[in-house]
Amino acid sequence: MAKRDIPEINAGSMADIAFLLLIFFLVTTTMEKDTAYIRYIPQKLEDVPPPPEIENRNIFEIKANSANQLMIRGEIIENPDDISERVLEFYRMNEKLTASQTQAYIQNSSYKGIDFPFYSRVTMQGIDDEINRNTDELERAEADDDENLITFYTKVLKDWDKKKAALKTLGGRELVEIHPQAHVRIVVQQQTEYKLFAKIHSEIQEALIELRDEAAQEYFDDTYSKMTKRLDQDKDDKKGDRKKVAALEVLFPERIIEVKPN
Amino acid sequence: MSKFRKENKKGAPGVNTSSLPDIVFMLLFFFMVATTTKESDPTVEVKRPEGVSATDLTPYKQRSEIDFLYIGQPRNKARAADFKLGHALFLDNVAQPQPGELYSTNSIAQWKLDKMNQKPSNMNEPISNVITCIKADQGVPTILIFDIREALQNINALKIAYAVEDKSAI
Repeated sequence: MAKRDIPEINAGSMADIAFLLLIFFLVTTTMEKDTAYIRYIPQKLEDVPPPPEIENRNIFEIKANSANQLMIRGEIIENPDDISERVLEFYRMNEKLTASQTQAYIQNSSYKGIDFPFYSRVTMQGIDDEINRNTDELERAEADDDENLITFYTKVLKDWDKKKAALKTLGGRELVEIHPQAHVRIVVQQQTEYKLFAKIHSEIQEALIELRDEAAQEYFDDTYSKMTKRLDQDKDDKKGDRKKVAALEVLFPERIIEVKPN
Repeated sequence: MSKFRKENKKGAPGVNTSSLPDIVFMLLFFFMVATTTKESDPTVEVKRPEGVSATDLTPYKQRSEIDFLYIGQPRNKARAADFKLGHALFLDNVAQPQPGELYSTNSIAQWKLDKMNQKPSNMNEPISNVITCIKADQGVPTILIFDIREALQNINALKIAYAVEDKSAI
């Protein structure tokens, strides 16, 4: 009985197998990203001024009750997926009207878009006039040392500066903007599930992105989503996206009021 | 004759594996650069709701302009009754509310301010621009979200984010 050598197993191909596995998992895994809807809480005011009168046509009210049922502008909605279409309708109904049409329809109660916000048009001259007027007001407030008015006019001036920048970026003679009071209002009850609340935000976001994407296509031959993504990756803003994104946000502002349930 | 035999006697030459570590390190570095770490494991159960077109928060995380707070049912079911509406809050780096203290949004303000102090020195954003991301479970009653909002409003931390699982096609 001669002692036999046990042949060694060739492990050279082990690495190949390991890499094959590694690459398979590399390709198939998706890294979970944190995604969210960014929103702003209104600043806290010490003495709250009486809320301004807002016309119904400028309010897009979404109500959700404790049983997770939905109501949009007084109409019961079965499917929450319909919200985005309704938001789009809210923004688009009167968007394409010319200045003279707006003039004519705004008084005409039989016009189908009477319950939707109207758009106004401002020229560069108009914006400059507003800036000058508000600067004067701000100076007067500073002279009177009225804290509230100073905050107010500073904010108003900031808005007009944004509009000026937007009109410059978009080009053209006039800036078309939705009524400054037009907004989406979310009214929930205490027990409304967060799932539905998030769904409402999702639908609003979907509609806003669609509006901005479309405008971006028209003005810049690009999409809003791509521009924001590029901005995230490139802080130096080499392609000049920041101005464009700001302009699109002036065209279709995200104005959402979330009402605290009581 | 003998010349050939000599060469045949040898087995297959071993594979040179000296460059293997290089490759492994390359992969390691890739993962190191591409991953962002989770702050901590929450003690509450959170199943995020679904949504579309949500904003990717990765850039904010990289700039540490974001803090996360969790709200959901406590993993320890026995304690559920101690909290308002059965849902507890989880704030990282903060002692959890004791059963006697119950669910309380009072701790949010202190937590947020502590977080601000811990930010790296190159983060210059004011508190009103630092996002507070609310990771809430699907079943959380919305009133709790508004409680959180109110607590944040009081300290002027005005930028918030509602976390969702993004279901839009990529």
